[in-house]
Amino acid sequence: MADAASEEIASQVEISCQACGSTLLLDSNLRTTVCPYCASPSVIERPPSANRPAPSFVVGFVVDHDRAAEAVQNWISSTSIFARSDFKQAAPELTRGVYLPAYLYGAVADSSYFAKIGENYTETETYTTTDSKGNTVTRTRTVTKTEYRSLGGEHSTYIVDVVVTASAGVTNVALEAIEPFDLRALRRYEPSFISGWPAEDPSRSKDDCFQLSHDESVAKVEQMLHDFMPGDSHSGLRFETNLTQEVIDLVLLPVWSFAVRYAEDRPPVQILVNGQTGRVGGKVPISAIKVTTAVVIGLTVVGGFVLALASSH
Amino acid sequence: MTTATQNCERCESPLETGDLRCSICGQISPADRLLADKLTVQILRCKGCGAATAYDIEHQAPSCTFCDSVVEIETVDDPMEQSAGYLPFTTGQDEARKAMRHWLSSLGWFRPSDLTTTARLEQLKPLWWVGWVFDAESQVSWAADSNAGSRRSAWAPHSGQVNMTFDDILVSASRGLSESEVSAIGPGCDLRSILDQPEGAQNATIEQFDLQRSQARQQIIAAIQNIAARRVEQNEIPGSHFRKTQVSIVLRKLITRRISLPAWVLAYRYKGRLYRMVISGQNTSYVTGTAPYSIVKIILVAMCVVAAFLVVFAVVAAS
Repeated sequence: MADAASEEIASQVEISCQACGSTLLLDSNLRTTVCPYCASPSVIERPPSANRPAPSFVVGFVVDHDRAAEAVQNWISSTSIFARSDFKQAAPELTRGVYLPAYLYGAVADSSYFAKIGENYTETETYTTTDSKGNTVTRTRTVTKTEYRSLGGEHSTYIVDVVVTASAGVTNVALEAIEPFDLRALRRYEPSFISGWPAEDPSRSKDDCFQLSHDESVAKVEQMLHDFMPGDSHSGLRFETNLTQEVIDLVLLPVWSFAVRYAEDRPPVQILVNGQTGRVGGKVPISAIKVTTAVVIGLTVVGGFVLALASSH
Repeated sequence: MTTATQNCERCESPLETGDLRCSICGQISPADRLLADKLTVQILRCKGCGAATAYDIEHQAPSCTFCDSVVEIETVDDPMEQSAGYLPFTTGQDEARKAMRHWLSSLGWFRPSDLTTTARLEQLKPLWWVGWVFDAESQVSWAADSNAGSRRSAWAPHSGQVNMTFDDILVSASRGLSESEVSAIGPGCDLRSILDQPEGAQNATIEQFDLQRSQARQQIIAAIQNIAARRVEQNEIPGSHFRKTQVSIVLRKLITRRISLPAWVLAYRYKGRLYRMVISGQNTSYVTGTAPYSIVKIILVAMCVVAAFLVVFAVVAAS
């Protein structure tokens, strides 16, 4: 399956522009192109296959190029103080705005769970202490204690709106950083909708994407179960989830992709902007020098404090 | 008007015009687009002028750069809710008036003695208020603390799973009537007698739904959660006191009707102040409202209680 998928993805295809007749060589994972000779936007439709189903939905671009660039600039300057200085000063380069393929996944999640539920109660206990005159006295106080009871059971729920990447160029973590997309603005996919904009076909196998969806669904279930537990507290939650009645649909999501080159010897950092909401996500390179300096200063301060305490005694 | 077109293939809830996905389970609604069977390259052209069209951020739709016409795309449709039917008034103004007198006289001894005779009807207006009526099947998973099986703490955890059906459950969408007024008069309506037109009263106020379909669905789901939690407490959880009742619901076949229901809204004046009453338009024994208390009577009783207490105290002290 994986071989077939990579084979589908690796090759290039030759198409001819329907306006001027020029022959164009196109990466086979692209759904659209603009003819370099006559600027006509073409949309390529292929027969759907298991790893490359036809898109069901598309979310349109709302944020334009200028707003996206501004958002990235603001984001870079507001990154943590431990970020490398050359990164903070670097100018982001736009690589492109692209319709990124992703899967929209849903299922029924049936889970059996087991947990220790903590129920609080108060007890009055006696204790001895010395009062202000130095006499030993016995007093009482109420203390809150917790008894743990075990609880097992079944939990069923719909899982909806799980979004996972279907592009090999964007990891699921990178996509999660710019989620959520407002799925109320979902449109039914029409070729005309992506005309003139780069759009990718899935470049991950459907099995990989199912796995990503399952992992995200199980994480959602875990969160739901934590909220579901009665009692004043709980611990040791264990659960097993069975996902049935799955639905998975291909959706094209609007994403602006930027590259930040901050040093000659480092690979550029990919920064993504949600093309619908303007949310920015990316991995900030941390400056080893800044962190070391901070640690050294911190240790010096603590050390000096300890020395001062020791000498005063 | 939104009408059910077909049912969701997965949870069998009706899909409505403009739903791209099932609002309950997320299943895609069927499309009628044909899929390509071989590689095709196409340039999408403007139907007006023949120039190539491309997606335009400003219009948020594909549009033609030459003649500025926009291509229509199927989107999620989120219309304002519209009432699909009216329950008729089956009681008249006179009956409503009689119901008011009867209700005022039935309130008990703590009310002013002259309430029934002095209260003057200021306004009596028919109102069609809006609500949803739904049917559904569901699987409800629940967990809660109750007093049953408790040891040192007052609470012990319980859990379970149960199938639940909902038949003709009324959820208010009204802004004019409060939640408590609706729960008092709602049961007085016969939900089977839905007509296309408002009938049975003249010059009525006809309330409109003032929210969109997506918000309506959220309200209905929230109501289902509440009803399920209450039912679970009544029928499933052992014990008599509960806390932290949690429910997780897998809904199927959720069918919602949007209807307008009849009510008489009354205002009466007693000693210069206005009080409000609401009476079901189909059964005048369903009444709710506000009424004054007699301060004199309450003070009298309080004094009697204190006096009795003092007497008992004195007797105990003397012995």
